[in-house]
Amino acid sequence: MLYALMGLGLSLITGILNIPNFAHGALFAVGAYLLVTAVNAIGNFWLALLVAPLGVALLGLAIEYAGIRRLYAAGHDYQLLFTFGLSLIIAEGIILIWGPVGISQLPPPLLRGGVDLGFTFYPKYRLFVMVVAGLLVFLTWLFLEKTRYGAIMRAGIENKEMVSLLGIDIQRLFTVAFALGAYLAGIAGALTAPIRGLSPGMGVDMLGIAFVVVALGGLGNLLGAVAAGLIIGVAQALVAAYWTEASTVVIFAVMAAVLLVRPQGLFGIR
Amino acid sequence: MSQINRRDILKLGALGAAGLGFPAIIRAQSKEIVILGLWDQTGAFADVGPLNDRGMRMALEERGMQILGRPIKYITRDGGTQAGTSTRRAEEAIDGEGARFMIGPWSSGVALAVSEVAKRKKVLHFFSGGTEDISGSRCHRYSFQWAASPYTAAKTVVDNFMKANPKAKRWHLLVADYAFGWSLEKYIKEVGKNHGLEFVGADRHPLGEREFSNYVQKAAANRPDAVAMINFGGDAVAGAREIFNFGLTPKIPLIMCWSSGVEELIQLNPEIRENLWVGTNFYYTADTPVAREFVKNYRAKFGTAPGYAPSAAYSMTRLMLAGFDKAKSAEVQDVIKALEGIEVNDLLGRMRIDPATHQTLRPFFFLRCKPKAQMKDALDLADVIATGDTPLPKEYAACKDIGSF
Repeated sequence: MLYALMGLGLSLITGILNIPNFAHGALFAVGAYLLVTAVNAIGNFWLALLVAPLGVALLGLAIEYAGIRRLYAAGHDYQLLFTFGLSLIIAEGIILIWGPVGISQLPPPLLRGGVDLGFTFYPKYRLFVMVVAGLLVFLTWLFLEKTRYGAIMRAGIENKEMVSLLGIDIQRLFTVAFALGAYLAGIAGALTAPIRGLSPGMGVDMLGIAFVVVALGGLGNLLGAVAAGLIIGVAQALVAAYWTEASTVVIFAVMAAVLLVRPQGLFGIR
Repeated sequence: MSQINRRDILKLGALGAAGLGFPAIIRAQSKEIVILGLWDQTGAFADVGPLNDRGMRMALEERGMQILGRPIKYITRDGGTQAGTSTRRAEEAIDGEGARFMIGPWSSGVALAVSEVAKRKKVLHFFSGGTEDISGSRCHRYSFQWAASPYTAAKTVVDNFMKANPKAKRWHLLVADYAFGWSLEKYIKEVGKNHGLEFVGADRHPLGEREFSNYVQKAAANRPDAVAMINFGGDAVAGAREIFNFGLTPKIPLIMCWSSGVEELIQLNPEIRENLWVGTNFYYTADTPVAREFVKNYRAKFGTAPGYAPSAAYSMTRLMLAGFDKAKSAEVQDVIKALEGIEVNDLLGRMRIDPATHQTLRPFFFLRCKPKAQMKDALDLADVIATGDTPLPKEYAACKDIGSF
């Protein structure tokens, strides 16, 4: 479900802005670090979980406003260089602010420990994350499908020129889409913190998976990103149960297999 | 269009100056002793390399960057935790910079490849890590092993854990899937036989694994009395966290068989450290004069206590320099001969290098983490409850003949 959340955010950015956002992993990491800072500052995990991703959305807003906005016309090479450079700067910034040593964040007391599901053990916090991530994906879907602004966004993915010809401020649309994508990365990071802990390089692993999810689902396809996120997660868990050593490889094996058969991704048209 | 401008003339001038100055540089280089620290700055052990560097630098600075009256030129290279990169960088430093002595890298699998370079290029190589092959099946005259033998570690951990938890006989193992993990797993099982241990499961995970839920799920399903992890660094931290998240610890004990000590433990919350037992090559409360001095200086300089990584680099450098002193020579083969059988009272107390295998014989530490309420400060993480130095029994020794130069 977390993969779906990451993929959805990245897919939004890729789809609407047509930008390969290599800083998506770094935004994920910032979400996690902001959560820990917020928990330490306000002492309440739940409140921190609300605040931290908003911080990442603000950061996304600033990044779009100060940098990416200038590169829409510059082509993918420049965008790639910019976002990749940005990811390095953010990772180093994390080391400067929070230090190079990894940090652990405990789940809130209510969600510590595991539950015996009869056939298996499962940590309570992970169940919570599944529900929250599912809910977020659902809310994002509601926003995109059922609101006017969501419809404009989807239209933006289909045909940017048409949307701007209709008198819609496409620039603002880009900014909102980037901030929303950043928010989703940030909340995925914040939710992940108690599961995987924090380290300055944590974004790199997740970025790889997020791109796999986006490629698998079809570039810029939102439903595809969600489906691909679920497929990857389930495939990884299933393989791990029977052949633990292969649980990382399977992510890429699934992608390779699907792309061989459907080069445009599961739901892609391009 | 060809036109010489001011810039080109300046470039030519610079080239000329470099050419003229070159013989002088070569003369200067022949006097200095170049020592290479092969420390990862990228890849799986990117976080460890800078710590190794700290320790090595401290040992060299203690000597005023000099040995036998000659200046030491300390160079470092980033091997990227990859065998290919590390061997290439090592060869470049040997051929290009004239390095004849090297220490590192941190990963066992990578170090085995680097050890082959040392053998081929006839360069003294010191290494600390969990593979037994450097002082075992792939031993040769040029490589030395600082870390305890995996057998020494396994014996210390299993014997002392069972003394404290005699009923915990069903163990589940989580093993890093490379040279270090395999060595230690073998001896944990071997020593375990003497205690009647039953290994209800043993799963291997790749180096750099961060998603442990699947492994822990399997471990939980086996309902073991104890979980033992044979992994290191970020893997061990991620594993311990997940085992806590699943609610296994603190109900059942978790053993980190080969930990870096402080560096790993401070990444875990005190709650996660409850009922955590730790085997390590170094713990900063080691009660020797050299350790006390080193820890004091390290804390003053870096504001935290040293773990295994800086301490190993520090001690290896000191041992190597002790070899120079004993040999009264900076020739590689003289220093090697001096190190063979050398006995020092150093960082860990009495330390000796076995001339037959190049294995450093030294104590291994076993710790029990403190509950939060008993911690005096943030670094008061654990008590050393035992040390052990049982060497690898002859029947297991794979280094039958270390060979000649």
